[in-house]
This record gives sequence, structure tokens and C-alpha cells, in this order.
Amino acid sequence: MQPFLYERAADAKEASSSLARSAIEETNPIAGGTTLLDLMKLNVMRPEKLIDINHALPAQIVRVGGGVRLGAMVRMAEAASNEIIAREYPVVHQALMLAASAQIRNMASLGGNVLQRTRCGYFRDQTVPHCNKRTPGAGCAALDGVNRMHAVLGTSDQCIATYPGDFAQALMALDAKVEIEGQQGKRTIAFADLHVLPERDPAVETTLTRGDLITGFILPAATWTRRSLYLKIRDRDSYAYALASAAIVLDMDGIRVREARIAVGGVATVPWRARQAEDYLKGKVLDESNAKKAGEVAFVGAKAQQHNAYKPKLGAATIARALLQAKALEIEL
Amino acid sequence: MPDNNKPSQHIVHRRGFLSAAAASAAVPLALDARFAETQSKPAVRSVREWIPVNVNVNGRTQSLNVDPRMTLLDALREELGLRGTKKGCDHGQCGACTVHVDGARVLSCLTLAVMAEGKNVTTIEGLSANNGDLHPMQQAFIDHDAFQCGYCTPGQIMSAVALVEEGYADTGDQIREAMSGNICRCAAYPNIVAAILQAKSKMGA
Amino acid sequence: MTIAAPEPKENMGRPEPRIDGRLKVTGAAKYASDADVSKPLYAVLLTSAVAKGRITAIDRTAADKIPGVVAIYTNENMPPVGEFAFFGAGGEAGSKAPALAGADIYFDGQIIGLVVAVSYEVAREASFATKISYSKVAPSPLMESEGVETADASDVSPRHKAISKGDLSRALTMSNVKVEATYETAAQVHNSIELFSTTCHWSGERLTVYEPSQFVTGMKFGLARQLAIKPEQIHVVCPFVGGAFGSKGSLTHRTSLVARASKLLGRPVKLQATREQGFTIATHRAETRHTIRLGATAAGKLLGYGHEAWEQTSRLDDYVVDGTGASTAMYSAEAIQTKVHVVRTDRNTPGFMRAPAEVPYFFALESAMDELAVALKMDPIELRRINDTMVNPANGAPYTSRSLMQCYDEAAKAFGWSNRSAAPGSMRDGDWLIGWGCATAAYPTQMAPATARVTLTANNAARVQSAVHDVGTGAYTILAQLVSERLAIPIERVAVELGDSSLPAGPVAGGSVTTASVGAAVAKACDAIRAKLYPNGRLENDMAAAFQALGAGSIEEYAEYEPEGLPKGSAAALQAGKLAIIGGALPDRTMFSFGAEFVEVRINARTREIRVSRCVGAFASGRIVNPRTARSQLMGGMIWGLSSALHEGMEIDVNTGKYVNDNLAEYLVPVNADIGSVEVILVPEIDTKVNPLGIKGLGELGNVGTDAAVANAVFHATGKRIRKLPIRLETLLDA
Repeated sequence: MQPFLYERAADAKEASSSLARSAIEETNPIAGGTTLLDLMKLNVMRPEKLIDINHALPAQIVRVGGGVRLGAMVRMAEAASNEIIAREYPVVHQALMLAASAQIRNMASLGGNVLQRTRCGYFRDQTVPHCNKRTPGAGCAALDGVNRMHAVLGTSDQCIATYPGDFAQALMALDAKVEIEGQQGKRTIAFADLHVLPERDPAVETTLTRGDLITGFILPAATWTRRSLYLKIRDRDSYAYALASAAIVLDMDGIRVREARIAVGGVATVPWRARQAEDYLKGKVLDESNAKKAGEVAFVGAKAQQHNAYKPKLGAATIARALLQAKALEIEL
Repeated sequence: MPDNNKPSQHIVHRRGFLSAAAASAAVPLALDARFAETQSKPAVRSVREWIPVNVNVNGRTQSLNVDPRMTLLDALREELGLRGTKKGCDHGQCGACTVHVDGARVLSCLTLAVMAEGKNVTTIEGLSANNGDLHPMQQAFIDHDAFQCGYCTPGQIMSAVALVEEGYADTGDQIREAMSGNICRCAAYPNIVAAILQAKSKMGA
Repeated sequence: MTIAAPEPKENMGRPEPRIDGRLKVTGAAKYASDADVSKPLYAVLLTSAVAKGRITAIDRTAADKIPGVVAIYTNENMPPVGEFAFFGAGGEAGSKAPALAGADIYFDGQIIGLVVAVSYEVAREASFATKISYSKVAPSPLMESEGVETADASDVSPRHKAISKGDLSRALTMSNVKVEATYETAAQVHNSIELFSTTCHWSGERLTVYEPSQFVTGMKFGLARQLAIKPEQIHVVCPFVGGAFGSKGSLTHRTSLVARASKLLGRPVKLQATREQGFTIATHRAETRHTIRLGATAAGKLLGYGHEAWEQTSRLDDYVVDGTGASTAMYSAEAIQTKVHVVRTDRNTPGFMRAPAEVPYFFALESAMDELAVALKMDPIELRRINDTMVNPANGAPYTSRSLMQCYDEAAKAFGWSNRSAAPGSMRDGDWLIGWGCATAAYPTQMAPATARVTLTANNAARVQSAVHDVGTGAYTILAQLVSERLAIPIERVAVELGDSSLPAGPVAGGSVTTASVGAAVAKACDAIRAKLYPNGRLENDMAAAFQALGAGSIEEYAEYEPEGLPKGSAAALQAGKLAIIGGALPDRTMFSFGAEFVEVRINARTREIRVSRCVGAFASGRIVNPRTARSQLMGGMIWGLSSALHEGMEIDVNTGKYVNDNLAEYLVPVNADIGSVEVILVPEIDTKVNPLGIKGLGELGNVGTDAAVANAVFHATGKRIRKLPIRLETLLDA
């Protein structure tokens, strides 16, 4: 680990200023530290200054106009055990509970969680020269390496590293918003606009710029959020990254789909909204056949590598299974 | 080569850096009242400066001066000699380093010691009573042979105690899921679940 | 009694709780890295970033500038001084090529230096700041890579012999039903939760080493050779081992480096290797390939068994997994033929890992037996029964005892096997496909020479000392029990000292030898004490009176155990650091522990993830000293088997030879949620021929056969035969 300066910020404004105005190029905020310290120990992230934001940003879960605001410093465990979240946003509750371990959920902040870095083994190993995410222009060792866990959606010839989180898929499927404190003040963007595809520069993972800090997330006020769930398929039954996952939010009109919101994880380079599948389902009866078809549609255009050729099939099956489970939910409105 | 691991000049520098930082942007370490009194004497901060930390460990306040890079795990083991907490992966993947910080089970390997400022830390050494009586969880682990090599055991027990307090220990399935952050390579898992079920009733949960 | 403490049956001792339990649950047990040394320096290993080539430059400019860096040792300034010998050739080291011997790189992650600093943080920073340049050569890391070398195992290992009996091709021609199939097992790594650590401290010319070890006696002598000093100068201390599983029997090259750095610097030096370094600085379970040929009559009688295997090894050392001795002893085939090849790759040298040979070889054999049963339309248990044997079919040597079918019958009953619907895919629970499978577990009963000292004092207390290890097996408790039983004193009054090279020499805690071998030495010492204390041969009630009559306050007896079949003087050889082990399939007798394992898998009909909801194993292993620790060993073993079947495998990059998943988040072992019901049945067995105490060893029995039981269950659930480990959901998406 490189040596670094350590400071604590008192509020969001100060934290943002410290980040933006730091004379030190490599300045990072630190919250739970579960991704950052992991990668610093591997010499993959090398900040020279850390701004501790644990006491600087909101850490409350509050009602806003019928919806909910999750403060960025709310811990995953706290959000997962919140009764409003469990009742009104089951997909969030489940995505959080199926992520990581109890200890990590006690540590990791929601804001940090959506910025979790990929688990690509080539990214994590600083002795591998070929990683465009670490060293832009250096190439991608995963393309002809071990890529069983890698992405099939949103890939490029620059990078196929999978976005590893779970909570982000729930936010995607809920059309959630992100609140950001930056040098131009506060702004709110769609969560779907937070992450960027690894097209030109895989080192750039979000639209955040220097001095930007995620301060919270806004979950929408709607009754359809209750017919939602998160299904995560993994090698182990717990404490494992998704091979494929699906966040499903269903707005039903009787037996027909008024609107389906579907996000998939474990298969894409960023939190991925399966819009084609959603469009396919619109107005249709959600039966076995349509659920399967929607799953397949979601992976049209998927690009598989040597070891992850199973992912389109698994991802499609995951969506189908999750859709049918979501349809069968008994919802108290 | 310095003879001492903690060169004394770090302590001298400390006052300067804190006041300088305080002048520029709010107050780092603002939670610590001692720093309100520091006099301004401009100095350039160095990344190699060590930072004072006050942390309550097992009921005793400990004042340390640490490399900012030092994890809580290494501080417990190397600075405080509390070696019951184990390093198994140093990356938050095994759970052997689990301790309680302000009552919550966390991974001490992914916690910087400086970030434990002002917190209450409980380790396996702080679990049994002062008279040496074992915590019900410790006794249950013995009764159910819930370990073999014993290396992951302090982390398992700290995790298990917190789990009962979290209220997730009603069924075997709940326990299995909630204990999944603690890897036992000897694979005493079924015995660990049985031990937690026993201890839970004795803990009044 | 809890489930953890089964009621003893015939020929079983009491299920005593572990005497070291309190130390382990309070965090007071001192593992090697917990040693208290004064003002230590901290070391970090430098390891190679390439798998093949040469170091062309070492630039330490930046590292040297870091305040607190004390020394950086590489091949340029600390070449080896002593002798290093590969454990597979009777030596002590994981590989014959010592670290820092030169600029050549043989595998990725090879130790190429040691950074020492005033703190761990500084040492780690400096390890990244030390810039190494290489001239790279494309490696051949996989068995399938171009450029690997293949050799006949019989030519490279004195241990291995090809087995040939009868005419296999004729037997196969005569068979009504045949199976020929190829199976693959993955490279696995022990991943004990305790990291590889070494702390060295010199006091003048005397060196104390705190290091987790399965064999402190071997380390003392081996390290002395490596450092070119006398064994008497070395004291190895390791009372507790945080998991070993075969990884801590041979020396890694870190030990001599830390010892030398500590000597040069005049300070204690502490090293704790990282988790990822643990994948390359020590050994691993080699990946293997097997072609099995089985032929049987229509009634299921085996006529022929052919087993050809390929095993990964390194360029440096020829490690031979050597599983055909065990596999050919299992079933009464008329004709048997084996051939084993080693394949030299640009990787680190493999070595022992819990049931090293039996795990891969029984995956192949027991899968093939299931395939044969399917082809015969016969219950797989009945196929084993028809071919059960009381002699080793390969050489005619009789079994000292064999309770395989008793194990099958008890486990089948507990599992409910009679309710199985045989057709694949015919058992289903909603969205979940159910599969039931079973397989044989077996492990050779092996013995090693051992020595021990027992002291009995007039105040009804005893102490037993031996330089062996409790690696989680329960050795502390079991040895206390043996003394308690033999000397008729309460177990609480027995102190046990292990894991210290200054104690009477003990064998490696490997090969499942400890209880039988060290137990035999301890029993002998106890018997000598009894003979002195009670000359009339009766165990008196009043021990104090007996001591008074003797005119002594204590009696100390040292005893040696030399296994039958080893040359005389094997205990003296052990005291000089030379270990011999004997057992299994011998020319004149055959000694194995047996078990039968049953597994229920549940496979999601849509997404195909595989979960094991329950497993039942019944095991017979001669005398069981402690049913509690025995059950735990076997339960842990079965879970190891599930792990091997479904999870474990090092992902090897074909281009660079790197282990891409070198951490505990990507190299998966089961977590608590993966483990459903695991039932262990201890089948009573009496074996008076195997060794003095009739103990057959079970530490490595539980994880044999599980791979095949799972694969057989997966076939039953889906109709798809998976012949490659680990079994992952993607292989079932088309099923």
C-alpha cells in the first residue's frame, strides 16, 4: 500500500471541496473501505490522500414525497433491515441481503457499494500488464484468458470486466435517482446515467467528475415497486458474486404486463437494464413462454468469450425464473 | 535504520499538521476535543506522518500512534498484542478477523485503525467474563465441537455473538446464511450451527 | 449427548470434548504467527511476475528510499548456502530448486526476494516499489499446453509401480458390458485459513523458528541442511496449526530466507505471506486426467479394470500422485492394468493435499463404477457387493479387515436409498431436480515410527510429550485419552505437549498416521510405567501407595514405536530426521479404512445451480479412540469432498501461467449456507492385525469418493454424466 494523507471531512460540501481542490491528483474518498482498502493492498488503487466521508454525508433513510431517500452513508445492513424498504421495495431488500457477507454489509456504505470495482482477476493483479482499466491502452488479458465470470453485455474489445454489485441492479430496475454533491452544487441524475460503458476508456466507470460525491439515492413513490424481487444465481449459496442475477419490478394489469422493469447483473460491464425484454413484455400475458422469450430477447446481441458462453443462456433462464416468481408474488398494497 | 518502529519525530510533527489542516478545511479528527487546543504553527504534512488514535478496546481506552495504512487488525495484533483476532486473507474474504465495532460485527482487516477513532472495539479476548467464565457462545462451541484447527474460531464466535444480537438466529437456515461470511476450512459448519442454537437460548435471545 | 458427541459403540472410546477447546475459543491458543518476539522486523516476499524466463534487472532505487526499509534480499545478495532436496525424493523441501539461487524463473509466483522493514506497511510498500525486469519466455502452464514434457511415472518415482495382472484386452473382449471413459480433476490448493507465516529469532548461534508445520522434526533437520548449520542449533515451535491439509509437511523456501535475514540483521524477523502468495509458494493438488476401462459379465462380475492416468507436475520436480495402488485394491477384477504419466508444466510443484492420491483416482474409478452399474441396469451398491473382496486382487494379499459393505448397508439405510427411483430425472421436487448418488471411500492405513515420553506423578497427574501435531484432528485430546485409559487417571489430569522440536521425535501429521503411530508409542510408555508401578500386574486403586512402595515421586518412560515391515531402526532414523511410512497395499497384507458416501443433490430445473441438501457417510476404521473428534474429521472430510466436487479449482491463465483466482473470493470453498445435513455413521470394526492399537486412521477418509457420489447424483438428477471437476452449472444448462 502506498502511503497517504488521511483527513476527515465534516460535511458534503467540505468533502467535495477537499476532493476537487486537493493538490494531490490521486485523492479518494473513503467510506466503508471494503473495496478501496482491498485494492490498495493489491497496489491496484494507489491514492495518496484519503478523505474520510463517513461523518460528512447523509446516513439516514427518510420518506420524500411518498418515495424514499437513502443517504449515501447508510450501511448496506441498515438499509436491508429497514421495514419500509423490505415492504415497499423488496428488490432492494433482497439485492442487499444477497450481497457480500453480514460483516461487509455492516461496513459498506450504499454510496460506495454502487461504485464497487470489478472482480476481474486481471484487473486485480498488478503483475498483469494488459489491463485497460488500470493502464489505458495496455490491452485486455481477459479476452483470451480465464473469462468464465466475465461480461457478455456492454463489452468492448477494450474490456469485458463484469460489474460485480447487486444493489445497483435494484436501483436500475426501480428507475431510482442519484443525488450528487459537486463543485457546481447539488444535482440529481437518473441512476441509469451513473455508470458508463467501457468503450473508449474502461478506466472511467462513471459520469462522476472530480469533486463529485454521491450523497443519496431516491426510490420512486409508486405501488408497483412492491411487486419486485432480486434473483441471484451463483456457484455458492451465499457470499459469492453473481454468475447471473435479475432485478425485476412488475407493474401488472391483471394477467397482462403494463410495464416490466428488468435489470441484470453478473453478465454485463455495468448495471444493465434489459429494455428490449421490457418492450417485448409490454401488454403481454406473463406466461412461461413469454417469460422465456423475454429472457432470450434480453441477450440478443450478447458477445460471449471462451469460458462464459453459458451466460446468455443462464441469464435468460434467470430472467424467466425471476419474472414468473415476481408474477406469483402476493402483494399487499 | 531506526531502532524503534515508531520514530519520535512523528509525534512532534503531529501538532503542526493538525493545526495547518484545521486552518484550511474544517477540522480533520474534529471528533477529538484535544485538537481544539492545538496552536497554529504551519508545517507541511507528509504522507509518512503517523496519526494518533484513541480507541476503546475491550473496555480499556488505548492511545496509539499509527501509520495511517495500519489496519485495525494489525493494530490489535501487533500494537496491542491481542492476537486472538486472526489474519486469514487480509481482504475481507474469510471472516477470521471479525471483531465488534460499536456492537456491530465488522472485518478488522478492511478497517483502518485511524477510522476506529473514538469507537468501542470488542475482540475475542473481551468476550469472556472477568472471572474467566466463558461466554455461552464459547462454551457452546466446545460442547458441539464447532471447530477443528481453531484458527477461524475467534472470528466465528464474534460473528455468532453478533448474529444472535441481530436477531437472525431463529432457524438453522437463517444461521447458515448469516454465518456465511466466516469460512471454516476444516468445515465444522453443522457443529457451528448447533452451537449457535444452543448459545442463543442461554443468551436470552 | 449432542449430535457432535456420538454414543460409543463397540471398540470405541469416550467422546471426550477437546482438551484444547478452551484455548481455542478464547483466542489464547498460540499459532505460529502469534508468537511473542521482542521488537521484530517485518518481512514481505517478492515473487515473480512471470512464469518462465530470467530476471534481467532488479531496480531497488525507489524501495531503498522508503524510510524504514531495512534490507532487500535477492539472488544478487543472498544466494543459498545449504542443500535443498525435494520431498518426493526423500528430502524436506517443496521443490529442489532453492529460492534466490539465480535469475531463472520456473513458475509464476516463485519466491525471488525478501523485503525487510520496520513495519509490515513499509515492507509491503517496498515490495511493490522494487522493480524487477525479466526476459520472458512463453510458458507451458497446462497439461494440454504445447511444450510440456511427459514421462512415465515408473521411471521417475521409486514409489510408483505400474500394475499388471492377467490380460486386460482379453478380459474386456470377454465382457458383456464395458465402460470406457475419460475423467478430469482440477488443480486445487489447501487454503488453510492460517496463512503461511515464519518468525525467526536467533539467540547467538541458536535459532528459534515459529512456523506452522505438520512435521517439526523434519523441519529441524531439513532447515539445518538448508542453512548449513547443525540441527541441534534449531528449535521449531508450533503448538497449534491453523489448518494444514498437507501444505505444511514440506518446507517452503520462505523459511530459510527469513532465518538468514534474521541472522544477518540481528533482529527477530516476522513474515506472513499473503493469501495469493500461498497459491504459489507452497504445493497444491495436481490436476489429473484418467482413462478408465471396465468390463463385466452380465451379472456384474468385473473381468477387467484398466486405469491410465496423467498427472500435472512441474519442470523442477517429479511429484507423482500415485493412486493406482489404492484403486486397484478395491474390486475383484480378473485382469488389471495401470499406467501413469507425469506431465511437466511451467508451474509450481504439486504435493500432498488431503487424501492426495485417493481423491482424484476415486473420482475416476467410482464414477466409472456408477456408469457400469447404469449400463448393467444394476443398483450401484449391488455392483460393489458382487465385486467385494477380502484380498487385494492386484497381488492376492489379504485385507486385515474390510467393512465396505457394512458401511454401504448402514449408510443406505440411513439415507433411505431403497426409496430411490432409478431412472435419471425421475425424482423431482417442484422446480428442483433431485439426484441421489453414492460411492466408495477408502484410505490406506499407514504407520510411521514415533517416539513419546510419558511422565506419571504420585499426585495422580500425567504428562505426555511428542513432537507431533494436532492440526485440528484432535491429537491433543486423543493422546490424553489414551494415557487416561492406560494409567486409569482422569483425563483432566493429563497434560499433553506437542508441536515442539525439542520433544521426542514424531512423524509428519500426514498420511493419517498420528493416532495409530504416536498412540502406539504413548501406549508403550504407559505400559512400561504400569509395569514399574504395579509389579504384580494389577492396576491398584491407590496410586499414592504404589508410588510410596516404589520410593519415587514420579515415573518417566520414553518409548519408541517402529511399524512392522519397516527396517529395524526406523525410530532412530526419525530422530535423525528421516521418515519412513508403511501401509496400504503391501505385498503380504492389505490395510485400508473404508466408507460409503451418499449424496442428495438438488438442481434448479431452470438455472441449474447445484446444491447438496444432505449427505450420509458410514465409515469403518478399526478402533475409534474418540467418536466426537472422529465424527468431526469425517464430517469435515465429506464437506471437503463436496467442495472438491462443486467448487474448487485453480483457474490457470493459458498465456501467463498465473492462477487467476488466487484468493478466497474467487477460489471457492463452501460457506455455511452451502452445507445442509451431514450425517456420519461410525461402523464398529475390530482389526487386531493392522497395528498394536487396531487404529486405522480416518483424517483423510471422509473426502474420498465424495466427488464421484456427487457426480453420480448429478447424473441421476439430470441424465447427464459429468466427467470433469468441479461440476458447475454451465455443464448442465443443456441437460
